[in-house]
Amino acid sequence: MATPIIMPRQGQSVESCILTEWKVNVGDDVAEGDVLAVIETDKASFDLESTAAGKILALFWEADDDVPVLANVAVVGTDGENVDEFRPAGLGETPAAAPKSAEPVTSAPVQAAPQVAVVAQPASTSLVASAGVSPRARRLGIKYGLDAETLNGSGPGGRVIERDVQAALDGKPRLSATARSRSLSEDLESPVRGSGLAGMVLSKDLKVPGSVDGAEMSSVKGIRKVIAERMIQSLQTTAQLTLHASFELTQAQAYRKQRLDDGQSKVSLNDVIAHGIVQSLKAHPEMNAHFLGNRIATFEKVHLGVAVDTPRGLLVPVIKNASDLSIEQISAEVKSLAGACREGTISPDNLSGGSFTLTNLGMLGVENFTPVLNAPEVGILGVGGIVLKPKRTESGEVVYVDTLPLSLTIDHQGVDGAPAARFLQTLVEMLENNPGA
Amino acid sequence: MKYDFAVIGAGPAGYVAAKKAAGAGLKTLLVEKKKLGGVCLNEGCVPSKTLLQAAKTYHHAKHGSVFGVSVEGLTFDFSKAHSHKNGVMNKMRDGIAGLMKKYKVDVIDGEAVLKPNRKIEVNGEEHEADNILICTGSSPAVPPIPGIDQEHVVDSTGILNRETLPNRLIVVGGGVIGCEFACMYASVDVPVTVLEAMPEICPNLDVEVAATLRKELAKKGVDFQLGCKVEEIGSSQVKYHDGTESKEIEGDLVLVATGRRPNVTNIGLEELGLEFSPRGIKVDERGATNLPGVWAAGDVTGQAWLAHAASRMGEVIVNNITGRSDQMRYDAMPAVVYTSPEVAVVGLTKEEAEERGIKTRSGRIPMAINARYIAENPDEAGLCKVVLEDGTNRLLGVHMVGGACSEMIFGATAMIEAELREEEIEEIVFPHPTTSEIVKDVFMAVR
Repeated sequence: MATPIIMPRQGQSVESCILTEWKVNVGDDVAEGDVLAVIETDKASFDLESTAAGKILALFWEADDDVPVLANVAVVGTDGENVDEFRPAGLGETPAAAPKSAEPVTSAPVQAAPQVAVVAQPASTSLVASAGVSPRARRLGIKYGLDAETLNGSGPGGRVIERDVQAALDGKPRLSATARSRSLSEDLESPVRGSGLAGMVLSKDLKVPGSVDGAEMSSVKGIRKVIAERMIQSLQTTAQLTLHASFELTQAQAYRKQRLDDGQSKVSLNDVIAHGIVQSLKAHPEMNAHFLGNRIATFEKVHLGVAVDTPRGLLVPVIKNASDLSIEQISAEVKSLAGACREGTISPDNLSGGSFTLTNLGMLGVENFTPVLNAPEVGILGVGGIVLKPKRTESGEVVYVDTLPLSLTIDHQGVDGAPAARFLQTLVEMLENNPGA
Repeated sequence: MKYDFAVIGAGPAGYVAAKKAAGAGLKTLLVEKKKLGGVCLNEGCVPSKTLLQAAKTYHHAKHGSVFGVSVEGLTFDFSKAHSHKNGVMNKMRDGIAGLMKKYKVDVIDGEAVLKPNRKIEVNGEEHEADNILICTGSSPAVPPIPGIDQEHVVDSTGILNRETLPNRLIVVGGGVIGCEFACMYASVDVPVTVLEAMPEICPNLDVEVAATLRKELAKKGVDFQLGCKVEEIGSSQVKYHDGTESKEIEGDLVLVATGRRPNVTNIGLEELGLEFSPRGIKVDERGATNLPGVWAAGDVTGQAWLAHAASRMGEVIVNNITGRSDQMRYDAMPAVVYTSPEVAVVGLTKEEAEERGIKTRSGRIPMAINARYIAENPDEAGLCKVVLEDGTNRLLGVHMVGGACSEMIFGATAMIEAELREEEIEEIVFPHPTTSEIVKDVFMAVR
């Protein structure tokens, strides 16, 4: 019996998943539990496993499609069964659903039509000339095998006139026989001038549409795409201001050492700072907030996001209710969430809901940077690497101390510079005088 | 004087570029320290082809019996062949001189040294040019063999001036130059031994084509010793090691033909900061060096080592200078060995294509299937090989040995330049009966 395979719901907040890669083809035999595809949510990647055994009868989506959760993605059954009833509404007979053996017939006359579209750079074929084509333009087009209907007209009301056809012909590259056949069969793009005889376009001049000379192209998808969207959205919708400060490390390091001497668990500097942020935010609730345009959500508790560098890109797991946790608990949470991120097993639910974010590039030798807000959060704190600084003691003597730079970016829409500076001051005082308290 | 374009070296790169530039309206200077025409006209292509034709004519006269032609009292007057050679060279040189005059190119006889800021010094005078082309050519390489500095040891330039035939010729180096001279002397009944270090002659050729050539030259009496290292050149013998033992052969003339070296010294390249090495001046596919306005073409770039490649480089450079985008396409560069039979190749061998990761289909047929070929070349083996890209069916290479195949390789060159596919080539008509039909027929053997 034909069984649809659905896109599973990965966490409560997930409404769609990107199908990054099919692992099977139509016609393959699969067992229950076999991996059909790789799917990605906002920030994590999973294997989509088959929930039935049999032959793959249809794959409804293509790689990189954003598939709503619970939608049918594939049908497993036996040969000859009808799959139409499972086809998601609005999806036509997609190429992926067609049997793989149906390769394009290169000699078929229908192949001649796209040729114009590839080389003449006309308007999209869907934009049929609304104001018509002049007879002279049509004649010239016919003479050179160019479909004038596909051009953008420069005549009255967008009418395609003779000079439009001439311009298209002038810009039309001369392709070698091999280049022409390859550009059609592989859907490649031709430059106007090639490297062959008198500028003839050779097959090696053809490029994947949108490619850049001397660069390897890869598509922006999955986590990269999500990060890109979030980052540009953050910079476009917030008024970011970054304040730099630093704190003397002496006490924090002494605190960490004391813990070890007392037989307590080891905590990292980052844990000490995370804990310090949580404590300082309690005193400065305006920094523990989301700016939502016409409203500001000030959170009761601190939900601290911690930026983690993973092979798949930047992830920000969130320590929920961090303000209820001790430094030991914060340390353990950071460790477990970061590990899950790196292994790709993090639940999407743990990747959202933050109220403030901590990011640390100190171990990579960075002193100061301007963190980009994890909007709509109003604050993000960046931590740099240890810097040796001179300090004048109370006796007037100058000594050298280790310091750690802090960079606080705020959304100036939701919070002003002075309160943000006061928050930073509280944090520095806490880290310098009462780390871990 | 201030010029638009100054050319150093009047070989096939230099005079072609000078003529083209002057024709495009550039005020052009051409400097040559020896003779117009360069190595090609004075020490290479032209004189060697003239003497090869002399040897070929003698050989045909002597071996015409299959055609019913017998000659009594056949003689070979080498000095007469040399005067024909000199006549051809003089005529060609006059032709170049006339061309330069016609195009109003200033020709200076002298040695040029490059100076910074696109200046050159010739005969103590300084000239300036917006663009400078360095095409100083190459010289025969001198390998460190003991005894190489003897009167009877010559390079390719020296042997062309010898107007008497030796009793026995020893050729060190079985490359293109070595094979051509071996063929020339063997054709006029001089016993020849070729000593080659590699396991096959002409290592740049398709292996099967090279082996066919070797066997045909052996039929003419050339003795090939492959995989051997020359140890010493004596007064009347050459000592070499054949991989197992040292041997000696007698010979009263020794030709050292172990390749050529770009002429990169004494022209001021170091002081200029130009990027170059003993292997040549570094240029991009347009002939541009690392210095703006300074270009290089021909053997001095260490690329191709062919007169026609040099001329093309000269043209490419002038095109780029005069605003027409152009570039070298070495994958469509024909190469010829002017032996009898001739070797003519263009494009990639199957091995070269596969090294580049191109999937290929290929075919080979013997020349013996061609009516015109066996009519004119009885008892001579020949071969034609073709390499196609699998999938696109694009022609990648044609490799021939047999008859006068140099005259038909341009057809394959044009096909490769135009990236013609098997489908197009099949529709091209070749005149019958011609040897060139082999280029069409070889496609039947492709698999």
